[in-house]
Amino acid sequence: MAAVYKSLSKGSSQKTEAPSNGVRKNKQRVLILSSRGITYRHRHLLNDLATMLPHGRKDAKFDSKSKLFQLNELADLYNCNNVLFFEARKGQDLYLWMSKVPNGPTCKMHVQNLHTMEELHFTGNCLRGSRPVLSFDAAFDMQPHLQVVKELFMHTFGVPQGARKSKPFIDHVMGFTFADGKIWIRNYQINTVEPSKTKVDADAEGEKPASSKDRTKETDMNLIEIGPRFVLTIIVIQEGSFGGPIIYENKEFVSPNQVRSDLRRSKAGKHNARTEQHEESLLRKGDLGLQTSGGRKMPVDALDSRELFA
Amino acid sequence: MVTKSKLKTALAAERGVDFHKLALKKKEKAARKKKETGKGGAKPVKEDDAEDGDSNLEEDESDDEDASDEETFDIAQLDESDSDSEVEMEEKIQRKPKPTQKAIKAAKDAKAAKLIAEAEDDDDEEEEEDEEDIPVSDLEDLSPEDKEDLIPFTRLTINNTTALLASLNRIRLPTDKSVPFATHQTIVGVEPTADAIEDVQDDLKRELTFYSQALDAAKRARKLLKAEGVPFERPNDYFAEMVKDDGQMEKVKAKLIETASAKKASAEARKQRDLKKFGKQVQVAKLQERHKAKRETLDKINLLKRKRSENSGDVGATEADIFDVGVEQEIGKYSAGKGRAPKKEREVRPRRQEEVRQVWRRRELGRHERVQCQADEDRHERQDCQDGQVREEPADCWEAVID
Repeated sequence: MAAVYKSLSKGSSQKTEAPSNGVRKNKQRVLILSSRGITYRHRHLLNDLATMLPHGRKDAKFDSKSKLFQLNELADLYNCNNVLFFEARKGQDLYLWMSKVPNGPTCKMHVQNLHTMEELHFTGNCLRGSRPVLSFDAAFDMQPHLQVVKELFMHTFGVPQGARKSKPFIDHVMGFTFADGKIWIRNYQINTVEPSKTKVDADAEGEKPASSKDRTKETDMNLIEIGPRFVLTIIVIQEGSFGGPIIYENKEFVSPNQVRSDLRRSKAGKHNARTEQHEESLLRKGDLGLQTSGGRKMPVDALDSRELFA
Repeated sequence: MVTKSKLKTALAAERGVDFHKLALKKKEKAARKKKETGKGGAKPVKEDDAEDGDSNLEEDESDDEDASDEETFDIAQLDESDSDSEVEMEEKIQRKPKPTQKAIKAAKDAKAAKLIAEAEDDDDEEEEEDEEDIPVSDLEDLSPEDKEDLIPFTRLTINNTTALLASLNRIRLPTDKSVPFATHQTIVGVEPTADAIEDVQDDLKRELTFYSQALDAAKRARKLLKAEGVPFERPNDYFAEMVKDDGQMEKVKAKLIETASAKKASAEARKQRDLKKFGKQVQVAKLQERHKAKRETLDKINLLKRKRSENSGDVGATEADIFDVGVEQEIGKYSAGKGRAPKKEREVRPRRQEEVRQVWRRRELGRHERVQCQADEDRHERQDCQDGQVREEPADCWEAVID
């Protein structure tokens, strides 16, 4: 109710503000927090992301797993309009919730193949809080659910212009790629190299100063990976923030629980097959009268020593 | 309608909903339903009373064909406001428990369920799930025995595009040309990166495509940002806190050095191993060669010996010529070496012997003289002999000893 009231009042105030302001300013704040029961790697990933997001607010672990809608109020307390919530299950599976507070949408994703910045030992580095260039795969514009997810990524991972702790230069790129039904996230440093050769050539030839200047201005560029790396699988998109009807569901997603149980079952199947085979062979032997108990009895042979010397 | 919350009344007032008309419509609908269900002999559906006005509205919209023009206007207004207002959210939230309710009723009364289904025919698939169908994701909770006689069905995937687009429009930030690029810094690739990846499991190629996507984006971003006059590259004298602190970078460096040195060490070790293997072979070959050479010389010597013995038997004189083994020279050398030595000995020896003899004589003479002299004195005393005789005797005797 509070959320509805607030959005209503905000909407009305915005209406009056909008014409005078021209363009609405991109104001984003992200509440970053996790559930209880995360492992150290999950925690390190969270810390890595928190260092990259100067507009983020890291909070203590959230206690409840069922009442996630309480996060809305929590985000409201911290003046955040985005929530990045890491939910750990069974001390091994990590789920990432990205939500727009207060009215949604919310996207729940499964995190796989996560490697934190520390364990990757990449040589790249960037300013803490510099604004990243967000590089999206073209696939993100093709389907509506990916468009929604892209928008959520833009809000959470894109540092808004003029954020309080952001730095004035742009020295890293975040890559979001949609491949194999999953979203792959990479983080690179932009490294500019002086192309000394072309510079020398230009000086030697003594061409027009303007063109040589242009050439020296456009330095070569390469990327060095910084980390972290992780892969996200979209599970569900909800219309509200941590609630509301489900407007997208990924059928291809297989829960890690099911994967594990399938593995277990396939292992158990081996044992079952072996015992079955054993029983069958016992039965066959019984039918042939080769067993003392059960099965068919062999007719008494006249030449049996017990018959002969009875 | 009296029990409505203040907020909702305010909300409805803003939207311009006429409660009186709504109430009228509701009554009308209830009457109609009663008539229909009464015909089927089933009990009347009371669920409408449980719902509140807002969700009721939507149902009315779906099956009310005989609504007046004014009403449709109202409804249309409500409907179009749905796309970006909070009303819709609330509606949807409250609509959520409805399917389950209906499912229970469906079990009780098939006809009533059918009616309701008719009333909702234009709604999404999400609401069409019956209670007999269990989605795959819920199967985990079942015991294995129960699972065996279950026919698994795959849940229809939910992809409510209209709702997705509506919520997208609600939160969308402008990224088109109307706003400066610096506000969002978002670059969308020209073509899907996934097309360039042949095999997702191939780490190297996959990462390379990711890299090229990011690099392309960075280049485009630089161009756009430079055009807007936003500082892009960090000047060399700008120092600030980095994402990875110095300790972490030190670790990275150490790791790099470690890997490099490990690589070097392993290369060195391999080289040594190869050398050892090869060196052994060389050693063995050398030994064999040496053995062979030794055997050959031994054979040659044996042969020579044989030849020589044959020669001495006066047979090899012609044989040596026939076989032309160059034995003559060998023998010549050998015999010359042997023949020369005794000759020299014969020359040297007497002289040397003489010298030795003289030395001995000189050295031993004194002692012998003394000893002998005493003895001789004793003897001479007895035999009365001369000195000269005594001197001669020991010399002779020593000569014999030396020879």
